[in-house]
Amino acid sequence: MSFIDSLLAGLSLVGNLESFLALGIGVAIGVIGGAIPGLSATMAVALTLPFTFTMQPITGILLLLGVYKGGIFGGSIPAILIKTPGTPASSATVLDGYPLAERGQAGKALGMALWSSCTADVISNLSLILFAGWLASFALNFGPPEFFTLILFSLTIIAGVSGESLLRGALSAMLGLLLATIGLDLVYGTNRFTFGDPNMMGGLNFIAVLIGLFAIPEILAMVWNPRSHDGTTRILGKNWVTFSEYRKSFKSIVRGSFIGVFLGSIPGIGAAPSAFLSYSEARRTSANKENFGKGEIEGVAAAEAGNNGVAGATLIPLLALGVPGDVITAIIIGAFMIHGLQPGPMMFVLNVDIIYGLFIGLIVSSVFLFLLGSVAIRGFKYVADIPRGVLFPAVLILCVYGVFAVNNNIFDVGVMFAMGWVGFLMLRYRIPAAPFLIAFILGPLLEDNFRQAMLMSGSSPAILFRGPITWFFWAVTAITVVAIVHTGIKATRKGLDQHKENEE
Amino acid sequence: MHNRTIQIQLGVGALLASGFLLLVAIPNWVSSPSNVSNIILSPLFWPNTLAGLMGIVGLGLLLTSIRSPKPQEVAPSDVEDRVAAYSRLAGMAVIMALTMFALPRLGMVWTSMLAFAAVAFLIRTSHPVAALISAVVMPLVLYIFFAHVAGVAIPQGVFVRLP
Repeated sequence: MSFIDSLLAGLSLVGNLESFLALGIGVAIGVIGGAIPGLSATMAVALTLPFTFTMQPITGILLLLGVYKGGIFGGSIPAILIKTPGTPASSATVLDGYPLAERGQAGKALGMALWSSCTADVISNLSLILFAGWLASFALNFGPPEFFTLILFSLTIIAGVSGESLLRGALSAMLGLLLATIGLDLVYGTNRFTFGDPNMMGGLNFIAVLIGLFAIPEILAMVWNPRSHDGTTRILGKNWVTFSEYRKSFKSIVRGSFIGVFLGSIPGIGAAPSAFLSYSEARRTSANKENFGKGEIEGVAAAEAGNNGVAGATLIPLLALGVPGDVITAIIIGAFMIHGLQPGPMMFVLNVDIIYGLFIGLIVSSVFLFLLGSVAIRGFKYVADIPRGVLFPAVLILCVYGVFAVNNNIFDVGVMFAMGWVGFLMLRYRIPAAPFLIAFILGPLLEDNFRQAMLMSGSSPAILFRGPITWFFWAVTAITVVAIVHTGIKATRKGLDQHKENEE
Repeated sequence: MHNRTIQIQLGVGALLASGFLLLVAIPNWVSSPSNVSNIILSPLFWPNTLAGLMGIVGLGLLLTSIRSPKPQEVAPSDVEDRVAAYSRLAGMAVIMALTMFALPRLGMVWTSMLAFAAVAFLIRTSHPVAALISAVVMPLVLYIFFAHVAGVAIPQGVFVRLP
């Protein structure tokens, strides 16, 4: 199929009111969800997922992508107005956004956040369109050993960069991998941790695990400390961002967008590191570097470009390799699976219309984001005023209905509650949840590819080093581990030195 | 909690979990056909490997905790009254358990209404009237969507059935 044919096939799939409506509603839900402190883009996507079961695959996935895009921008609104990032990715936006809001220039900061978000979004989407197909055609050469090493690399980097330490990330990933072993064995069909219960034989339901892990802990955190999300909302002020300010920050926006694209396309890194790297690069190269952290508009632009640049790029490994780039794309992979689609290189062969439909939808989502984002900035006061004592019980009920709807099974609701407590404990012990979820999704794939490789080679581990692709993934895995361990040792030494100084 | 305390607790927990998996859980609850000649292809291989790796991670956590500095001050609490916070958590656990018990008996709509009101009461909502109205309206709206639009067989319970 030629490029034009593929494009037309995609257009025929999404060129209808239903798809655009889903995208628009998705962006609106995302912006509102991201803007409510305590909710997040992740939770918004997770809670929207059950509503997509009855939709056409493309419509459902577009709805979720809209929520994702909207949620990432929405997180910047409370970051600027109440110094509480709506999503972790917006933490860098607080640094200059809130000082601007304190000076009565919140409208200017939010306007710049929106413009830079939309610019980064477009760049990220174009990168996705350019690179995903190329990567997928390359990945068609992958066999089980290559996929095994790729997934191992992804899990290593996710475990290493998601939290405060590699070991805690590794523990989280181990728990996710172990949970994924529940059910019937992939090859022999024997029981593994099923306790004779038929509900466990198919493994734990993915939606129940993810909603349990990402929505219920927030409710439990609210129960633990009901006053945790209180804050004073700053007024927007009369100043709005001007085109000349946008032009002055344009270099930082483009640089931040490409940082986002690069880091987003590596599975597991996510938006927060990208936002901070983009911000620090902007500060390093800016003529106003001493003004950063005190209310510099270029700082807001760089941080927002960094985190929104990731949004399209995280779909590159998802669509081309079937490996989720971050937690939200891990949830979106669930939507693909529910509709009987398996993201990965074969999707570019078998479902090229869906792939191009998604590309078209993503480009349109940037326009929706610009329009709805402008409205959301002005309407934030009403969103911020939603009483938490009503919001969180409502989230709980949404979770119960949503999880039950997957399989019409009350057992799944129990799994969700149990995973909620696991997630809450992980939150308290500062164990990152992202490696857990991604390992839970990739666990069966990792094991399956390992066993297939062993079957191919007559159980010789040499097959895992059979060619340049596997060598490459082993090398980058080793480099990642060495880099993370080195950083950890340096941080521990610094802590010990500081401790000694304090004692003296 | 201080970082060191967290590392120690996690390290001990991971070691205990690893030991439990290797000695109790895997031998008892993972079955393998007797004719599997190659250990690598056995259904036991993957869980055993993961349990072993978890033990190594646990050891790593303990070793790093030994190297990290001892805290000099008690870590500040994130809540004013810890007893009240733990009581609320226990209350939430009871609500979840009762929800699981009531779902097949009362039905999802009525159970959700009660659970909504109970959680709102537990976190002492400052908008009790709005919470009560939402507790009634939201489960009904969700019932209409899932039962009549999405075609999901929402549990109706044995007492009052909805159309």
